[in-house]
Amino acid sequence: MIRLAHVSKIFQGKRQVTALDGIDLEIGRGEMVSIIGPSGSGKSTLLNLIGGLDTATSGEIAIDGQRLSGLSDDELTRLRRDKIGFIFQFFNLLPTLSCMENVSIPLHLRGWPKKKIDERARELLDLVGLAHRMEHLPDELSGGERQRCAIARALSVYPPVLLADEPTGNLDTHTGADILKLIRDLHQRLGSTVLIVTHDIHVAENCARLVALCDGRIEEDRAGKLGPVSMGGKL
Amino acid sequence: MILLRLISWPYIRKHLLRWMLTLAGIVLGVAVFVGMHTANQSVLYAFRQTVDRIAGATQLQISAGETGFDENVLDRVQAVPQVRVAVPVIEAVVSTALAGQGNLLILGVDMTGDRGLRDYDLESGDAAVDDPLVFLAQPDSLIVTESFARENRLAIGGKIPLSTMQGEKRFTVRGIMKSGGLTSAFGGNLAVMDVYAAQKVFGRGRKFDRIDLAVSDGASVDTVARRIKALLGPGFQVQEPSARGQQFESISRIYSLTADITSAFALFIGMFIIYNTFQIAVTQRRAEIGILRALGATRRQIRTIFLGESVVAGLAGSLLGLALGIGIARVMTGYIGALLGEVYGIAQRADEISTDPKLMLFAVVLGVITSVVAAFIPARAAARVDPVQALQKGKYQQLSAGENRTRRVSAFIVALLAVGCVLLRKYHALVYVADALAVVAALLLTPTLALLVARMLRPLLKLLSPVEGTLAADSLLQAPRRTSGAVAALMLSLALVVALGGLTRASYDSILTWLNVALNPDLFVTPSESLTARDFRFPEAMVDQLRAIPGIAEVQGVRDARIEIRGTPIMFVAADVESLVRRANVPPVAGDARTMYREAARGRAVLASENFALLRGYKLGDMIDIPTPRGLLHLPIAGIVTDYSDQEGSILMDRSVFKRYWNDDTVNIFRVYLTSGATEADVKRRILERFSAERRLFVLTNRDVRRYILRLTDQWFGITYVQIAVAVLVAVLGIVNTLTVSITDRRRELGVLQAVGGLRNQIRRTIWLEALTIGAVGLILGLAFGALQLYFSLVIVVEDIAGLRLGYEYPYQISLALLPVILAVAFISAIGPAESVVRGSLVEALEYE
Repeated sequence: MIRLAHVSKIFQGKRQVTALDGIDLEIGRGEMVSIIGPSGSGKSTLLNLIGGLDTATSGEIAIDGQRLSGLSDDELTRLRRDKIGFIFQFFNLLPTLSCMENVSIPLHLRGWPKKKIDERARELLDLVGLAHRMEHLPDELSGGERQRCAIARALSVYPPVLLADEPTGNLDTHTGADILKLIRDLHQRLGSTVLIVTHDIHVAENCARLVALCDGRIEEDRAGKLGPVSMGGKL
Repeated sequence: MILLRLISWPYIRKHLLRWMLTLAGIVLGVAVFVGMHTANQSVLYAFRQTVDRIAGATQLQISAGETGFDENVLDRVQAVPQVRVAVPVIEAVVSTALAGQGNLLILGVDMTGDRGLRDYDLESGDAAVDDPLVFLAQPDSLIVTESFARENRLAIGGKIPLSTMQGEKRFTVRGIMKSGGLTSAFGGNLAVMDVYAAQKVFGRGRKFDRIDLAVSDGASVDTVARRIKALLGPGFQVQEPSARGQQFESISRIYSLTADITSAFALFIGMFIIYNTFQIAVTQRRAEIGILRALGATRRQIRTIFLGESVVAGLAGSLLGLALGIGIARVMTGYIGALLGEVYGIAQRADEISTDPKLMLFAVVLGVITSVVAAFIPARAAARVDPVQALQKGKYQQLSAGENRTRRVSAFIVALLAVGCVLLRKYHALVYVADALAVVAALLLTPTLALLVARMLRPLLKLLSPVEGTLAADSLLQAPRRTSGAVAALMLSLALVVALGGLTRASYDSILTWLNVALNPDLFVTPSESLTARDFRFPEAMVDQLRAIPGIAEVQGVRDARIEIRGTPIMFVAADVESLVRRANVPPVAGDARTMYREAARGRAVLASENFALLRGYKLGDMIDIPTPRGLLHLPIAGIVTDYSDQEGSILMDRSVFKRYWNDDTVNIFRVYLTSGATEADVKRRILERFSAERRLFVLTNRDVRRYILRLTDQWFGITYVQIAVAVLVAVLGIVNTLTVSITDRRRELGVLQAVGGLRNQIRRTIWLEALTIGAVGLILGLAFGALQLYFSLVIVVEDIAGLRLGYEYPYQISLALLPVILAVAFISAIGPAESVVRGSLVEALEYE
């Protein structure tokens, strides 16, 4: 589903920084993979490249067989809106829109009819357990609820790929566990490919596969301890 | 200071464009203020300098308004014991036929006595001038300045063609004044002529314009002035030469006032722009503020940082404004000078601008204060930022519902107060208070009204573009505070445009009506190309000479002159009232049409123009004391009529009264009516054939005069158009500024839209539509509020400034013209911010805080 071949990302500036250094990675359809590494290891950069938010300096990235290099900005956006859902650490909900409206935005951008949008938004909010908070503004929600809303938004068109950047990083332990459980449930029910970037080993171990990055290179690529969600009170 | 350098400077440098836009309001305000006042002062300074230099050692000047007085007054003045020297003067501006020389100020003096007052500093060898009798014996003699002679390559014996009452005459240079003192008056374009020759040349009869005098050693100038005043009576003004500047000042006050209104407006809108920018800056820099607070910065220090930034911004804006203002002054000095010359017939020549350090300092202080006041609330908000919350990412601030309700209630109370003030408007100052309250109420209501209009526009936007239109409308609906600053600025600017436009339109209509009713002669015969210049006059005998010309049915001789009433020069129009009414029956504003004209024609009353009555506080039936050379003339006002002869107001009296009291039968202008069947062209040709050999005259058709008056009106409204231009410019700056800050503020939001699938074009269109909506909302509110402002303008400007009662007429044309302009401006100003968003880094946008 996701294939990276010799991908490098170099940031130019006063000092040249190599964020990713010749990454080769293949993620199959329906896999749930965590990318783990310390700060500055390049994990967020990797996620941005896979999500088409940023472009690689060299190498090749393909999503569902479609190569990203050479795509125009609009083509990248179309790929993103049809195949990728994003979950951010800081939720990135639009503060002036209600839950319902936040979830509806990607569908509006696709030009869906209002009735269909409303139906889908309700369905998604119900799926993430926010049916009772539909008309609430982000400010009126708890951290966990906000992230649930963001997840519902990411799932708006049931994209085959779900990218999550530190989805539990801004939440307390208990709420974080809930969110992770939700992601795993959704993964199982919807069968989408899930890629979670985290610096927390416990989150990473809860994924089927764990890829560890260090200084822009893959240090380890192994199976996680996929099983019942157990954070051991540490998450 | 160190905090400013460390904390503020990097932020300002990063958002330089935005700061430049923010300063624009201050720059414009200060520039207009400095520019217009400096231009005014420069013209005034030039006028004073000319007066001063011409005055020489003169200690007192005796005049009788513009009417002049009989020669025998000189003998009476010279007989006053303490008068050392008293000499007659005639002063006139004539056009030279020399290429590129324009006007020449001619000073007619009596060379036998005048050198006791003025030093002509003649070049040696001027025998003709050294002996005044020789100079007198040759009435074509002229003394010119060295600079004028040099520029025109004139030497002693050289000839200068001048237009005189007897047509163009050639004068001979018989003396050249060396540079210094007198010669720099009127920019060096000065010539001296014998006073008796000047009487003939300018059609003054046996009259002088002025007497210049010096008192004997040891005598008090005040005492002598009092003595002469008592001797001559109230028809004469006995003043020190410097007093002549005061008349000029009273006339130029209207320009100062206009300048003040424009700059106050620009600064007021500038205040909004600054407030808006600081508000956004505080929101954007919350994390930074949080860090500073966490590191130990006190609330006071945080506030000082922001206020410090506002001082720097105000200072930078003011200094740029000063530079721009001096540029404006350079352009406006010539314009105002020409306008005063043409509208009021006041001669001056301002070649350079004179800057006043006090004015400059005041402007800078004004700019800085505006900036600090605007930044005060955001600075206070910055000081109140909670460090813990500020350090949490992803927090936004919104206008709370409670705050909105308070605003609405306050607006309602303020609006009620405004209505109360309007109802009590017989206390004049309350109208100003009402207007100010109306502005405050409108400002308080802006977020609510903007919300309402945006909600109304939402279906239209959705129809235009279902996705982007809805997003754009929702962005405004959900964050009214972000845009209400721009909407308010736009609303005020457009309201001003509507008010000024309506005022101009109403004045125009009123002037056109007056032109149609009162100015109906077929031809006008004048001694000068300019209808306002009164330096040349015709003898009365010309009335019969004109009547004898075939094709002419009636000739009305009109004499007008400014006469001082209670210290203000008022235009008097002396004409044959009976004949005037027969030909142009102007319906009175007040008074009985049947009796008032009859009374005036018999010399038992005068008629006042409406603007005179309103501005000077006279009512129908009031007695008016008119100072004449023969004493006070005490006449009632029998009627009030519409008359636009003069902006300060005018008084119409029968010519018989003028002739009797001023002993003056000269005429400024002849109104000529043709017999049926006669053509303008034929009669004009006959008049020119009859007189051109013996005197200088111009024959203008009714169309020419209308065009001339409308051109003057246009020139007069030129300043208004400048104001409208400034208002539109400020509105444009407001939109550009708000969009720039609003887009910056929403970078993350727009990034999210892109991340969840918004195409570049969708984002672009969303921003464009948002800008268009801001423009449309501002436009709708501005045009509506303009209707109210027009009402206030008509009351205030008209009753207090021009004294004309004008009809309320909403300027639909201007409003329609504004529609595409504002929408286009909104669209254009959205292009840059939209491109910066779609071309910027998405990763950065998502991390933006």
